[in-house]
Amino acid sequence: MSPQSVYEQLDGAVEAMLLGIGGNGEPLDPSVTQLLGVADEVRCLPWPQFKQRLRIELQATAASLHSGDATSRARSMAVPRQPLRPAAQEQILPTLFGTGYGNYPIHRSSFMVSAVLHLVLGGIVLAAGIWIARHRQEVTQQVMYLIRTDQPLPYDGKGGGGGGNHDVMPASKGDLAMASDEPVAPPVIVLRKENPKLKAQQAVVRPPDIKMPQNVGDPLAAIFPPSNGAGANGGIGSGAGGGIGSGFGPGVGPGYGGGMGGGIYRVGGGVSPPLATYTPDPDYTEEARKSKHQGTVILWIVVGPDGRVWDIKLRRSLGMGLDEKAAEAVRKWRFQPGMKDGHPVAVQVNVEVNFRMY
Amino acid sequence: MRAVLAEADERSLIEAAQRDPRRFAELYEQNVDRVYAFVVSRIFDRDAAEDLTAEVFHQALANIGQFEWRGTPFIAWLLRIASNAIADRWKREGKYSPLPDGGLSETAALDGTERRMMLTQMIEELPADQKLVVMRRFIAQRSVREIAAEMNRSEGAVKQLQFRALQSLRSRMGEK
Repeated sequence: MSPQSVYEQLDGAVEAMLLGIGGNGEPLDPSVTQLLGVADEVRCLPWPQFKQRLRIELQATAASLHSGDATSRARSMAVPRQPLRPAAQEQILPTLFGTGYGNYPIHRSSFMVSAVLHLVLGGIVLAAGIWIARHRQEVTQQVMYLIRTDQPLPYDGKGGGGGGNHDVMPASKGDLAMASDEPVAPPVIVLRKENPKLKAQQAVVRPPDIKMPQNVGDPLAAIFPPSNGAGANGGIGSGAGGGIGSGFGPGVGPGYGGGMGGGIYRVGGGVSPPLATYTPDPDYTEEARKSKHQGTVILWIVVGPDGRVWDIKLRRSLGMGLDEKAAEAVRKWRFQPGMKDGHPVAVQVNVEVNFRMY
Repeated sequence: MRAVLAEADERSLIEAAQRDPRRFAELYEQNVDRVYAFVVSRIFDRDAAEDLTAEVFHQALANIGQFEWRGTPFIAWLLRIASNAIADRWKREGKYSPLPDGGLSETAALDGTERRMMLTQMIEELPADQKLVVMRRFIAQRSVREIAAEMNRSEGAVKQLQFRALQSLRSRMGEK
């Protein structure tokens, strides 16, 4: 077999070996068979770049391990290891101040990071609370102010009234008669003429919107048998003029010319303001809540000597049903009445009812 | 006397690597061929052998601090890591050893390892053109035509160089 034939036969066998396929079945020269064994071992040798690449990888790993060791050695030098020991009883929260219990190294940077994180978390919680408070859709509070007023009263304290029918007995106790600017018939308890030709509603000149009369009489009188009182010119009481009480005129109480006897006072000049003792909040209307309508309703009110709200008038409107809600709530308010000369008197004040959505 | 000196050198290298992992490179250079040969003589796959050899040296570097010198050569520790890595690989792949029951005998395995180690060194000692043909033909698995074009030689000349290189390697292995 010529050398060229041996070279060709060897190359064919090597090609088949590298491709993982069998030979062509022809018998191989013994020298070729021996060399194929060597070739099989050679083909499993590593890539030349493999060793270099692995060396570089190991050097990088070793460098990182070395830097890690250096860091840990530096730490161990900076913080000498101490034997485990229980925390000193006299120390109060040593970790709070970065000293720790001595069982493991404490790093101030960790405390700084922890402090910053806690501050951030606290800020988030605070901001969330403020945000929630500002976006609540419920009315939680209405602020009420009593304010003085210099507005003229519809029925101020100048008037009064009184009446009577020359009866022997003083006037008997009862409610005030209906209010009227021009009463036709004075109030009576004992009716002298059973069937008058012209019937008229008995009334007095007094502020309206006070509770309706049940049994007409003098509210300040003692309980007596039915009597119109010892006064004159009709009415009830000891005065004259067709009113109720001791005054003169068609009004109620002492004084002249109609109106509430004793008067409705303004705050000041010896008259103390009424003090609110019970102020239930008004309700929001659904319409105002949906449109987030806010503002202030101002009401003019009369606080009677009994601490109740006698009269209410609207001074400043807010609309969307809030005026009515404000009046409804204020009507339920109770006051320590205003005082004059040590006696409770009716006092007019303005009140602000604020509607705010919190 | 030489063995004692070699042992002392290896111990000092290990201790140096334990103090400074960057000194591990010297241990790597001394043992990589043997570890690769050990691995490839068991799994007969070059890519897998390279992966496992890399795994062995990374494990060794990571655990060099735990190595205790008891007079056993460092290569024995590396080969134990390699054996475990090979077993894990077979287990992971659900395969069994392609070797006969019980694997290669220790002698046969060491013979195969030694032969491949020597082979690596012998290739380095071949004439340049023969070495180039061996590297291109068996490592890079190029065709004769490609190698001939690269070397600007005829295909016949490349086949002749291939024959002479293998013949030279066989004769040298026979001598040792």
